[in-house]
Amino acid sequence: MSVLKYFDLYFKLISAGVRAQLQYRFAFVMRIVGLITSYTGTAVTMWIMLYQFQELGSWTFYEMLFLFAVAVLSWGFCIILFFHFRGLDTYILNGTFDRFLVRPINPFFHFMAMKFDVASFGQFIFSIGIFIWVSFELQLDWTIGKSFFLLLSVVGGILIQGGLLVIISALAFWTTKSEQFYWVAMFPARNLTNYPLVIYPKAVQWFTAFVIPFGFVNYFPAAVLLEKETPFFPENIGYYSPLVGIVFFAIAYYIWMLGLKRYKSTGS
Amino acid sequence: MFRFRLYWTFTKKAFLRSAVYRFDVWSRLGSNLIFLLMWGSIWTALYAGREEAGGVSFESMLTYIVVSQFLSGVNGAGTPLWEIQEKVRTGDISLELMRPFDVPLRYLFADFGSVAFYILTALLPLYTVMFIFMDLTLPSAWETWILFIVSAFIGFLIRYCIEMAFGLLSFFLVETGGIVDVFYFAMSLLSGSVIPLWFFPGWLEKMALYLPFQGIYYIPNAIFIGKISGTEILLSLGVQLFWAAASYLLLRFVWNHASQKIVVQGG
Repeated sequence: MSVLKYFDLYFKLISAGVRAQLQYRFAFVMRIVGLITSYTGTAVTMWIMLYQFQELGSWTFYEMLFLFAVAVLSWGFCIILFFHFRGLDTYILNGTFDRFLVRPINPFFHFMAMKFDVASFGQFIFSIGIFIWVSFELQLDWTIGKSFFLLLSVVGGILIQGGLLVIISALAFWTTKSEQFYWVAMFPARNLTNYPLVIYPKAVQWFTAFVIPFGFVNYFPAAVLLEKETPFFPENIGYYSPLVGIVFFAIAYYIWMLGLKRYKSTGS
Repeated sequence: MFRFRLYWTFTKKAFLRSAVYRFDVWSRLGSNLIFLLMWGSIWTALYAGREEAGGVSFESMLTYIVVSQFLSGVNGAGTPLWEIQEKVRTGDISLELMRPFDVPLRYLFADFGSVAFYILTALLPLYTVMFIFMDLTLPSAWETWILFIVSAFIGFLIRYCIEMAFGLLSFFLVETGGIVDVFYFAMSLLSGSVIPLWFFPGWLEKMALYLPFQGIYYIPNAIFIGKISGTEILLSLGVQLFWAAASYLLLRFVWNHASQKIVVQGG
């Protein structure tokens, strides 16, 4: 099948999912309210933290908000595309994963198009609101080049975080566990990157830059856009964010396919 | 009549059950450590080499955060809220309603068991090592240790009652996302779990002091590092007891209404 056909199919599959979710109007609104509340909560925590101390590792409140918003924006897209990957273990254990294998399309694609979480509008509303606010406060000059770079690094962020979700789900092929790995490893790691990496021990910074490249999701790109220094790392390393995203996602996809080959149905 | 032995059985069973799910214990400890790393680094960066800020030394502040993470490990080791909400959603809760015990108490006593297991096998060994190798301040008087343990225990009860009361809202609303998020935000911020109340803006500190959340983390932590001392401790314990009673009444109130109004979906 051609790529175009896959696009067409993706939108057909998800539009059914979206319509289903919109049937529960109240639940839909509540979830968006909930998401915006908890992100605002983190922002308020940052504000109180800096109420007495002014700055955290040379980052001011507004700069930290900006850093946070970059992460939230790409995470929003990531939820739409990949968040349900963490639940692959349930499909394997219940034996329902087999239905993704018996259809004449790529199983990875089929699994990906299975779900489309509309509540991520919460992330978009929050992050765009923050971008506008911070741009006024810091008088950011949004040239075409900068806007384009932000867009590209958001794509990079989606691929990095999505790639990690894909790797976590692939673990289910070997261990029949994945959801738990998300909550143990990725959830805390995502929280870690809400704050500028410069405050962490060097080993942690190095790890989040080159092993699980979360630094390229928001810290490095935000440092480029805000013209901030990134000690211990080359200047403007943030420009590599889209490239890192592509490479990391390719590795993740390869691991997932490797796991799929190993997959044996649980039967029952 | 309170049948202690009946509920004690739940404690024992939960303890043994945790022993089977070893992986859960280790993974929970892993994420607890990552959050400790995060808040430890944040406070190190905020102090930025200063010896003290707001009348509190860096060493005490770091101790505050470590103790706070320990307590958040303790508070997070019970039955997760979503598990109870899932029982409401699937209707499994009706099985519990039919049995001759009180559901909120049954879960509280089960939590005692799983928390005890988690403390003994994971938290205590790890945090003991941390206290040996890091520059942290330990209370010198044994009375302080006892008062801290008492205070942390009351805090646990306050947290349990409030969290359960919020969780039971799923009897009335099928989707509780928004409300539960507000609760978790209030609990993490206003309890002083990550930022002690004395660093709050004045108006917010006043507000937090009038709310029950401070009893969960702030009071035990502050007792541990000696920020609260002497008769002030007794006063704080009194405040905690008051809130424990109030949140227990809240839980009872919500539970009575909820169990009357049970709507089981499907069958």
